[in-house]
Amino acid sequence: MPTFKYDGKEVPFEPGESIIRAVARQGKEIPHYCWHPGLSAPANCRMCLVEIAPAAGQRAVTLDVLDWDPAAGDYRARKKPKLQPACQMNAAEGMVVLGDTSEHVKEARKSVQEFLLLNHPVDCPICDQSGECKLQDYWLEHGQYEKRMRDEPIHKPKAVSFGPTIVYDAERCVMCTRCIRFMDEVAHDPVLTMRERGNLNEISVAPGRELEGHYTFMTEHVCPVGALTTKDFRFKARVWFLRTAKSVCQGCATGCNAHLDFDPRNNKAYRYRPRDNEQVNKYWMCDEGMLSYDRAHKGRVLEARTKSAVSSTKSVLLDAARLFDGVPKETVAVVFSAQHSLEDNVALRELASLLGSSHLFFAKAPDGYEDKILINKDKNSNTRGVHEVASGIRTFQEFLAEVRSGKITHAIALGGATSGDAAADAIELQALKALVTVSAHEGALTESAQIVLPATSWAEASGTYVNAKGIRQVSEKGIEPQGSSRPAWEQLAELARALGLEPSWAKLKEIRAKLPVPKGSIFPPAAPAASPAGPPPAAPAAPAP
Amino acid sequence: MPAAFPKKTASLNAVPVTHSEKTLSTQVYIPEVAKGLGQSMKHFFKNWKDLVRGERPDPSTGVLDDGITTISYPEQKRPYPERFRGQHRLTLRDDASPRCVACLCCSTACPAQCIFIEAGEYAEGDERRGYERYPVKFVIDELRCIFCGYCVEACPCDAIRMDTGIHAVPYDSRSQFIYGKDLLMAIPSRDGHHETENPRHEPGDPGHPGVDRLKAH
Repeated sequence: MPTFKYDGKEVPFEPGESIIRAVARQGKEIPHYCWHPGLSAPANCRMCLVEIAPAAGQRAVTLDVLDWDPAAGDYRARKKPKLQPACQMNAAEGMVVLGDTSEHVKEARKSVQEFLLLNHPVDCPICDQSGECKLQDYWLEHGQYEKRMRDEPIHKPKAVSFGPTIVYDAERCVMCTRCIRFMDEVAHDPVLTMRERGNLNEISVAPGRELEGHYTFMTEHVCPVGALTTKDFRFKARVWFLRTAKSVCQGCATGCNAHLDFDPRNNKAYRYRPRDNEQVNKYWMCDEGMLSYDRAHKGRVLEARTKSAVSSTKSVLLDAARLFDGVPKETVAVVFSAQHSLEDNVALRELASLLGSSHLFFAKAPDGYEDKILINKDKNSNTRGVHEVASGIRTFQEFLAEVRSGKITHAIALGGATSGDAAADAIELQALKALVTVSAHEGALTESAQIVLPATSWAEASGTYVNAKGIRQVSEKGIEPQGSSRPAWEQLAELARALGLEPSWAKLKEIRAKLPVPKGSIFPPAAPAASPAGPPPAAPAAPAP
Repeated sequence: MPAAFPKKTASLNAVPVTHSEKTLSTQVYIPEVAKGLGQSMKHFFKNWKDLVRGERPDPSTGVLDDGITTISYPEQKRPYPERFRGQHRLTLRDDASPRCVACLCCSTACPAQCIFIEAGEYAEGDERRGYERYPVKFVIDELRCIFCGYCVEACPCDAIRMDTGIHAVPYDSRSQFIYGKDLLMAIPSRDGHHETENPRHEPGDPGHPGVDRLKAH
């Protein structure tokens, strides 16, 4: 691989790659506002200027500048090198690039910073970006000057609603055009544009349109400053109070990698931010996914209950044991869930083999909207995973048919969602003599269940999910379990014990050892938790009755 | 040869104690008691006369003077220094709304984590919409507060102050120590006003050009 020198260090690059990208791959950042790895490079913020030494035998391109000499009381002519934007300049073999080590670059960064902040209202106290704002970061790193302008800054529109999700503040905007380019290049809906010039420059929505669609949140995410804020997160929290977990979006089968930001003080999830993953979601997420963080709190099963009477887990388990007492194993079915993690589904498979049940079904939420960018029509995070856990499992419709025919009278189910109409499914399920559901969310399966055990959602427990491409991804634990919920695999172990069986798993490690062999790649690759430690079961298909 | 440890001569500071002779009157005891009481009563009536005439200096203002340094505490109080950090108050604007913009800088700086704020946005059409937000809830747990004054230092809007001169008040239940927004806004400063001297530059002020771009140029 060819290399060039950045601040005296060799940096390898792919031919045709820009300096900033090659340096970024080495984990070093050249300060920038307008450049984004997933978007084109307009080179309009001028923050990434670098000094490039002239090639051997070539004359340096210089600028004639005048410096004020206070001693002489006059201007003095001086030459200084013409700096180049690192986001536009392609790297070349043997190139010598100076960034942090060049006085000219340092001066340029400081001046660019002063220019961008000239009319900035500095309303950091009420700005949602405060704490993760590039203007703040770079001012500390490269600015640190005293404000010289004493005039009233230019005032521009504030809190302009761009659509149902996004609010725009023109005063804070640095005109990097990332949002415009995102809508053009990624969302393929060029609805944002720039109007006016100079001081009055501002972003606006195309006349007669609103900023809407499935990728509006990303405009806020790519905004390096607080110009675009989401109505959902606006004024909800200060980012420095939030902690983050490396999560996986549960909105659809794409399994976008995300940062789940939560406040540990009130145990509440506040937002999602996309997490870069070249193989899955690149740098992006859809609006539905970005908003799906609230499923950590909405529609949750938080307490154990028998019928609709909330009770302690212990007494509910005793009720379950009574319901399953002396039931022939041919009439018992288990229903896997495409919305629960591999760990939970594997625990259910183990429970099925302990019970001797060979009727394996799976339930999933109905299909929905899909597009060619990110959104998958399968609205379940782990459909592929369920099929990996056990082969030959049948659909929920077949399960309902078996229930109708009376062949199956008892069932243990995971997850609440069903693919049909929830109310109709719930009525059909009432034909069962006993239904025990372990679920994080409410649905037809919890509504008509005799016994409901609360499970943790993806946000409260570490879990493994297989996306539509077959990539196995681990989602970290964020918030603490709410109510009396526990991981479903733990609840299933308790249930097994209550039914007089001996579960072979008690710890996360033990259940992870039973995960099927991954067929696709694993994220994160280095995480030991993601790879099954023990020998994988040779034939996870039909558990011998 | 001089002694290694010469006998110390009597210190000049020492006052030799003289014992009065045991006369008949001291032996009888009663007359001496009456004499002592008489001395006390003489001072009592003298002080009383001074107090009535107002000749005795006020102990609370004359603290630094020589003389009596004891004050009768709950009724008389020593003046607090000018920068004494007392009970918090939320300063108000001219229209009696709080100056606070709910930036949470105070609750971030608070080492006791006793400040809870919920931020809200001004309604559509309000002049301050977009420029500011306001506290929907502003709660200080005065039991947790350690009166360090960091919240006052951190405030970018001069919205929280500890210049009330009131020191921590005892109550008989914990819930009474939870001071809400209305109570904090009702507490005046030591000289009785609710505002601060520091001016603000905000939409609605005469000097503020506002959001009208044509007016601004």
